[in-house]
Amino acid sequence: MKFKPRAPREGINVSSTHPLREAALLIGGVSAIFATLILVIGWSVDLAVRWIPPELEVHTFGDWAYGLGDPEHEPERLAAEVLAQRLAAHWPEAPYAFQVIVTDHPEANAAALPGGTILVTTGLLRGLQSENELAFVLGHELGHFHGRDHLRGLGRGILYQLTASALFGFSVTAPDVTAFLGNMTARGFDRGQERAADRFGLTLVQARYGHVAGAGGFFERLASGASELDELAAYASTHPASSDRLEDLDDYAAQQGWKRDGELDPWQRSN
Amino acid sequence: METLIQFGITLAVLTFAYLVGSIIERRHFESLREREARHREFPTVSFETLPEGWRVAASGLAVGSTVVSLDYFKRFLAGLRGIVGGRIRSYEPLLDRARREALLRMTEQAVADGYDAIFNVRLETSRLASSRGDGKGTSGVEMLAFGTAVKLVRSP
Amino acid sequence: MPILMSNTETIPGKTIVEFYGVVSGNTVRAKHVGRDIMAGFKNIVGGELKAYTELLSDSRQEAVARMLEQAQSMNANAVVNVRFATSSVAQGAAELFAYGTAVRVQ
Repeated sequence: MKFKPRAPREGINVSSTHPLREAALLIGGVSAIFATLILVIGWSVDLAVRWIPPELEVHTFGDWAYGLGDPEHEPERLAAEVLAQRLAAHWPEAPYAFQVIVTDHPEANAAALPGGTILVTTGLLRGLQSENELAFVLGHELGHFHGRDHLRGLGRGILYQLTASALFGFSVTAPDVTAFLGNMTARGFDRGQERAADRFGLTLVQARYGHVAGAGGFFERLASGASELDELAAYASTHPASSDRLEDLDDYAAQQGWKRDGELDPWQRSN
Repeated sequence: METLIQFGITLAVLTFAYLVGSIIERRHFESLREREARHREFPTVSFETLPEGWRVAASGLAVGSTVVSLDYFKRFLAGLRGIVGGRIRSYEPLLDRARREALLRMTEQAVADGYDAIFNVRLETSRLASSRGDGKGTSGVEMLAFGTAVKLVRSP
Repeated sequence: MPILMSNTETIPGKTIVEFYGVVSGNTVRAKHVGRDIMAGFKNIVGGELKAYTELLSDSRQEAVARMLEQAQSMNANAVVNVRFATSSVAQGAAELFAYGTAVRVQ
């Protein structure tokens, strides 16, 4: 046999697709997959939550929240709980026996916890200037219970984490994709839920006091940047766009024909 | 805000890796083509039967190896492929370069030592373990080419 | 006219008249998450990972096809001493590598 030097044609082992085009296709494709997943998870959670009866929720979570509260604020806690229950009296179909717990925290915050417990921080109680304001905050949380929003957030959070670990636990992934997804884990409620809770809260306030004066006082101070802004900042971060909410509340009250002036009941602070 | 900054940095590194990586790759391919042309007359084959009439004066083992590193942009694309599956096109030029480079080094070493041909060429690929488990450390591909180089008795 | 292949020194029954050089073909493929999850499940119950078998077999065919394309471009009609190598170049991705020598047989 004879040796004849020959070379193979260039580029047989290399794809002709330009890397940037491949990158665009891949990124687009993967993003579309994730967006779909997130939407599907959101919808299925919403659907599932409707099927969970409140009795089951209370049974599962019932006593869980008790240990979270701080016992020193018992008088205030009790007063807040009584107020919450009085407000809930205007919501006859309420499936929960509402409880309030108070935690010692300098930042103002309020949350609806599964099982029918409302959490308020001492920071929030300090920032109150009337009982009406607290009534609105509690009413707003009651609104979240009405929409089962807390369960939706919980469900979504769990499913996102599960999906992420199922996908990325098994295969290699670009580092920033994981980080981005991690930050997208559902935290807090979306605008629609917030507005619905606001309106529900306002309705309860109107039912109890006959007017809605002072309800928005808390947010007015938030929006105008009052001196207690640092404490209120935490509230703002989880309940954003205060000025928008005020406007919406105002409009809603006007629509319903509710009086926006009236006497404010003082809030008794115990310490 | 933090996410945005993180995202921005990643994007910047990706762009940088892509641009610089492309330049390096193009230069390497040019160098490969030039050296391959130079050594075109040097036989390298993967079988071991010697052609009739070839008498061997001396022989030795010829080895060439190279480690090519995967740039960040390529690894990013491979990561995305890991989700949807399919051919990782971004790695192909890399492996092509590594293989040709290893073969050339083996050839160049044999030529330098005065050999006339290499028989029974074998190629081995192995992946360098990354120093960090999460895939962010150095990672590369080692390509090894080796064969039996022979020095022929000069026949007119 | 299809190119002959063998993993012996020569094509059985024929003689090599000219030889050209080493030709190779490779592909790198990643499996998608669906296969991963199924494989994870199979790890528990055992059995053939059909999805992977399919994947690697397709990759092998492609690698061989590329090798033959190289041989064809050199005007060879056979590839002898064909060898295969599989290696992992990235987590979850395998490189399929086929190489041999392009020759002309009679």
